[in-house]
Amino acid sequence: MPVFQLHVNGSMRTVNVDGNMPLLWVLRDVLGLTGTKFGCGVAQCGACTVHVNGRPVRSCVTDVGVAALGQITTIEGLAQDGQLHPCQRAWVEGCVPQCGFCQPGQIMTAAALLARNKNPSDEDIDNAMRGNICRCGTYPRIREMIKEAGRLS
Amino acid sequence: MSVIYKVTRRDFLRDLGVGTGALVLGCSLTPEASAKLPSVSELIHGIPVPDVPFVALKLNGDVVIITHRAEMGQGIRASLAAVLADELEADWSRVTLRQADADSTKFGVPFPYPIPPETKLGYPYNRARGTRQFFILDPDVAQFTDSSRSMAAFYVPMRLFGAALRRAMVMAAAKKWGVDASECYAEQHQVKHRGNEHRPLDYKRLLLGAQKVPVPQYDELQTWLKKPAEWRFINKEKMRETFATDATAMVTGQVQYAGDFHIPGMLTAMIERCPVANGAVKSWDDTEAMKVPGVVKVMKVSIPTPLGPGGVGGAFIPHDGVAVIAENTWAAWQGRRKLKPTIQWDLTSPMAADNARYDSTEYRRTLQESTSKPGRPVRWRGDVDGALGGTTVEAHYYVPHLAQAPMEPPVATARLAGDHLEVWTTTQNPDMAQQMAGVVAFGIPYDNWELEKTKEEMRKKVTLHMPLLGGGFGRKSKPDYVVEAAYLARENPGIPIRVQWTREDDIQFAYYNAVSDQYLKASLGADGRPTALLQRSAFTSLFGTLFPPPRKDFTSEVNTYYREKRRDFRLGGEYPYGSSIERSQGLEDMPFNVPNLRIENNPAPNHIRVGWMRSVANVYHAFGICSFADEMARAAGRDPKDYLLDLIGTGGILALEKEHVEQNYNNEFPIEKIEVPFSGSKVFQVIPGYPPDTRRLRKVVEEVARISGWDAKKGTLPKGRGLGIAAHRSFLSYVALVLDVSLGDNNELTVNEAFCAIDCGLAVNLDRVTAQIEGGINYGLSMALLGEITVKNGAVEQHNFDDYPVLRIDHAPRKTTIHIVQTDLDPTGVGEPPTPVVAPALANAIVAAGGPRLREIPFRKKIVV
Repeated sequence: MPVFQLHVNGSMRTVNVDGNMPLLWVLRDVLGLTGTKFGCGVAQCGACTVHVNGRPVRSCVTDVGVAALGQITTIEGLAQDGQLHPCQRAWVEGCVPQCGFCQPGQIMTAAALLARNKNPSDEDIDNAMRGNICRCGTYPRIREMIKEAGRLS
Repeated sequence: MSVIYKVTRRDFLRDLGVGTGALVLGCSLTPEASAKLPSVSELIHGIPVPDVPFVALKLNGDVVIITHRAEMGQGIRASLAAVLADELEADWSRVTLRQADADSTKFGVPFPYPIPPETKLGYPYNRARGTRQFFILDPDVAQFTDSSRSMAAFYVPMRLFGAALRRAMVMAAAKKWGVDASECYAEQHQVKHRGNEHRPLDYKRLLLGAQKVPVPQYDELQTWLKKPAEWRFINKEKMRETFATDATAMVTGQVQYAGDFHIPGMLTAMIERCPVANGAVKSWDDTEAMKVPGVVKVMKVSIPTPLGPGGVGGAFIPHDGVAVIAENTWAAWQGRRKLKPTIQWDLTSPMAADNARYDSTEYRRTLQESTSKPGRPVRWRGDVDGALGGTTVEAHYYVPHLAQAPMEPPVATARLAGDHLEVWTTTQNPDMAQQMAGVVAFGIPYDNWELEKTKEEMRKKVTLHMPLLGGGFGRKSKPDYVVEAAYLARENPGIPIRVQWTREDDIQFAYYNAVSDQYLKASLGADGRPTALLQRSAFTSLFGTLFPPPRKDFTSEVNTYYREKRRDFRLGGEYPYGSSIERSQGLEDMPFNVPNLRIENNPAPNHIRVGWMRSVANVYHAFGICSFADEMARAAGRDPKDYLLDLIGTGGILALEKEHVEQNYNNEFPIEKIEVPFSGSKVFQVIPGYPPDTRRLRKVVEEVARISGWDAKKGTLPKGRGLGIAAHRSFLSYVALVLDVSLGDNNELTVNEAFCAIDCGLAVNLDRVTAQIEGGINYGLSMALLGEITVKNGAVEQHNFDDYPVLRIDHAPRKTTIHIVQTDLDPTGVGEPPTPVVAPALANAIVAAGGPRLREIPFRKKIVV
């Protein structure tokens, strides 16, 4: 099996896996980074969202070979210098999570939105976040706390 | 009745993670424990006493609280702990929470004093495990996190535990200072002297003294409970802070859900299952699957008879299938893809053959025919047939099967080592999961597996870890996937095997909420109010999955045995009718004051497995009756809110027993108060009664009208915009909802705003009650707008979120306004009650906005979403 060098959360990790294996399973099963969640496997729910070169991607449909070309950030690597990301701080402050399972994906998508737009409108939020499902229905607080995180950052 | 003692049990110390060197104090409320209060020397020498280990104080004074319920997003973990910590006056920063394993016998909280033998207590209070001990909640269901009852069941015990420990600390300090206890009080982990003559003492310095404090009587302990004004967390905004630790772990990816545990040597299994209920595996070819790198083994998964036959879908026995076991998830998935086309299914058994003919489109007509004829009357008063006539309104309402679809698909890992099974899984029902996993792993014969001694043996032989759940919604009350893992562990001893479900598995093998048709007919009098109401409901009962229907291949004795067994199990009714549990969810307890009334339950045979989803039968019953109230209002030319209040009338407690309703424990709590003689002539009300009280329903309607500005908005909304209202009682709580919607020229729907009023008794955790309402509304919108499972040739036709769509952020209301009615009644459910009102409020709002009357879920068939 091929060997890939992955840049994950600022470290270089070497993995020896099938080149078609989606990044999600490399992260979870091989690297033990289980904060990235499996929700649907077909890029419908967003629970597996990570950043590759700062852009949100669905790791369940991203081949490891493609991901190896960029810098990967997962929820475990979102905090910088021991400081939680503004989204993470706002999420805690606003008591956003219920079961919490989808929230790593929600936060990765939201963080990417805020990186390019610190003051998103409701429509901007809808457009960015439509791909992330929350079955607990925390949408009102996600909307509110994205705006709050924009103010914090 | 309360005792503080040194905990010596190694397993408990290990659970707490403090090691055997630490001094750990436990707290127990059992009468046996108080009767056998150990002497100090016994404590020091470590004589074990019976314990209910909800809380422990460590040597450094820090508090460890065991969280024994399943946490699936309702926030019960921190909420119950905070109730205890509040009464204990613990400094929350010195409190840690530890998630329990399955061990229900530990957590069935006994009544705090002996109950006279002549006192009758019904389910779930009378299970005594061979003793005369009564439990506040049956040990079998002490951890079963279902029916929105965690706070209702454990609020009082948690307060008592906390108060008992605080009392011990205060009395220990008083003794140390040589002052009267009334001169002392506890504040944030310290006992203080009111006169300030003594320096405050931290709890850690009072541990030994607290062990010597005599045990309080129940009525004395009652006097130690805090007054509401003294609460820090209970019913206070500040309680939201107690969620911060869990929330932080969630948003940083640190929470370990069941699928996140990596057990050394673990293999991952994926299972291709028979799409038809009660089908079997005929043959397969594993040649191609085994060529996939990483695939280790392919094997059949067919649970032999130990679990008994079950009903349609086989109770909690998984569908038969073939497993691909591999070194990682991806390899298992790839192997499964290769395997799938090679599998032949055997659908020749009578049940499988019948189920393979199931077509949900055709079945809808069957249900309509069922409710078009008289059914079994379940509640009646007056003379409906004589009074029906004149101006009549009638309608059928249809709700399809629905899948719960929690974000985290089912997953379970099991390892059999010698005669011990260890399981890691996501479950709302840890006791049953533990029992079933053990029965399968150890091959316990069916005749024995319900015996108490078998249950005790399974509790010893099976360790079941129950980490936080990625959502549940009722799906994870059924442990079929745990059974799969236990079976594969048995067949592969020593190897930890994780059974990972895909989203497709979750949607194709859910325990579907019942498909239902309701027929309502009313006669309106001269004043527009109904003089007679006929209501019929046909739904596929979940009991049809739990128990076998009458079968031609059974002898009549066997059929009789199962018929009686079903009837006696929580008033389970008779095939193909519904159970008391389902009928009491919005059908028999219909709240409207109509002089002539007849409610009927109509037959609905089962063909796929049926379970329950957030709010269960209330989903379809509320959709029917709350839509019909609006239809009657419009037929009478009345304002729907005013008419709804008229239907409820001045309100009162429904005397269901006078109207022939089978006595049931409505939502598994008693309708009648349970009063117990105590201390001679004194009588305590030990369990509050929860009869439907339509005054409380009326109140939430009035409140939601107020916060939504209903009256002021009347006649002022632009064309294409409207308000809809619905009100419903479920899980002992009362909810009213107003939705404000807009419809475009082509019926494009926008939900502008939601207004909700709830009476859930005392709202213990205000923020989580609010969160459950926000989430429950969105869950209801998802179901009403989008939810539909269809079946063809016995197989579910939906696969993933593309063909079983769920609500996304752009369809959620932009604004939600919530009013929580403040009462001093005991707390009741909040997880489920916000959901049933959504579909009818939305249907009613769509009509108000000039749209069509929608009598069928999902609404996306008639409007654009």
